[in-house]
Amino acid sequence: MWRLGPQWLDEARLAKAWREATPFPHLVFDDFVADDAMAGLFESLEEEPVERYEGDILAFEASAPEPATREMAALRDDFAQLLAAPLTRITGKAVRRADMRAYAYRVGHYLLPHADHQDGLGRALAFAYYLPSPEPPEGGELELFRCAIVDGALTSTVPDRRIAARGNRLVIFDVSDVSLHQVCEVLRGLRISLAGWFYP
Amino acid sequence: MTTLDELFAGRAATIVPDAVGPTLAAEVRARLAGRYTRYALRDRGSYDVVAQVDEPALFAALTGIAAQVTGRALAVVDARALRLGAGDYLLAHHDRIDEGVPVELALDISAASVPGAEVHYRQRGKVYFRAASQPGALAVVARGPTVTCNHTYVSKRHGDAAVVRLMVLLRDV
Repeated sequence: MWRLGPQWLDEARLAKAWREATPFPHLVFDDFVADDAMAGLFESLEEEPVERYEGDILAFEASAPEPATREMAALRDDFAQLLAAPLTRITGKAVRRADMRAYAYRVGHYLLPHADHQDGLGRALAFAYYLPSPEPPEGGELELFRCAIVDGALTSTVPDRRIAARGNRLVIFDVSDVSLHQVCEVLRGLRISLAGWFYP
Repeated sequence: MTTLDELFAGRAATIVPDAVGPTLAAEVRARLAGRYTRYALRDRGSYDVVAQVDEPALFAALTGIAAQVTGRALAVVDARALRLGAGDYLLAHHDRIDEGVPVELALDISAASVPGAEVHYRQRGKVYFRAASQPGALAVVARGPTVTCNHTYVSKRHGDAAVVRLMVLLRDV
């Protein structure tokens, strides 16, 4: 299912791009899944149930943290197995496994600014893979913030970069105290993705 | 099973519709208009705020309503105004936790209602009371150390939204 394309061959270039990315380390890969594998990917997701989640920070539909179907679990495990080694070399963060959930952001859905870092969870890298949508979304971008910390306290959070949720795009980004990001509200269409974290 | 927390919470929050009329609300909005500062630590909130509001006549009336609703003798200890436009919000973990069991008033002095723009009160993270966008309405909520409050995200689909709320904290005299 998952295969690494030629853009993954030059790991030194990717490592440099990772280090130099602003406002915090991240990489964007377009055309991540080969055309001939896309139908199989959607097939793997067909039976995975999703439900609505709502809180002060979020509104979206998602699958459960642990996959309900064998197909989704295999998709997650294959993804982690394929990417863990190259991402370890590129980012300098030793990762071995990943979790993965399917997300559907419909009109009015959002995920407000937050950093994924939480003590004890071990999240090292975050990822989001945007599936080609039958109704490509307006809005729904991944927005990264530039943060300043003084004496351990966050003193400013400035929107810095917006990454469109373009179909077949994979985004990998760092998890730290300053990796503040959000999913902008979807104004039209449907944003569907697979997302989660890599762990040591 | 209903917990004592839920029983308490259910009795200690209510909405008083039409607590103020549109004319008074417009007058207060006009007095506040030039005084807002922007809060934008985006992991906590995004909104305009007037940190200290002094509206003696209005507060006297609101305190009277709160006293009737709660059966307690109360006085204002703090009041601020919040203005939320499209894309704004105030998260629960940014809320101030107050000692004791003060009463909080949320008075909606917006010019028009905004769909989905609500004030949520949470007990240990779970929403137990919602104050919908309703100009003129007053939410009266007895708070406690386990209660937090958040102002929900205002959709960008309502581009001209302007939600204005007076948040008034009362304590027993």
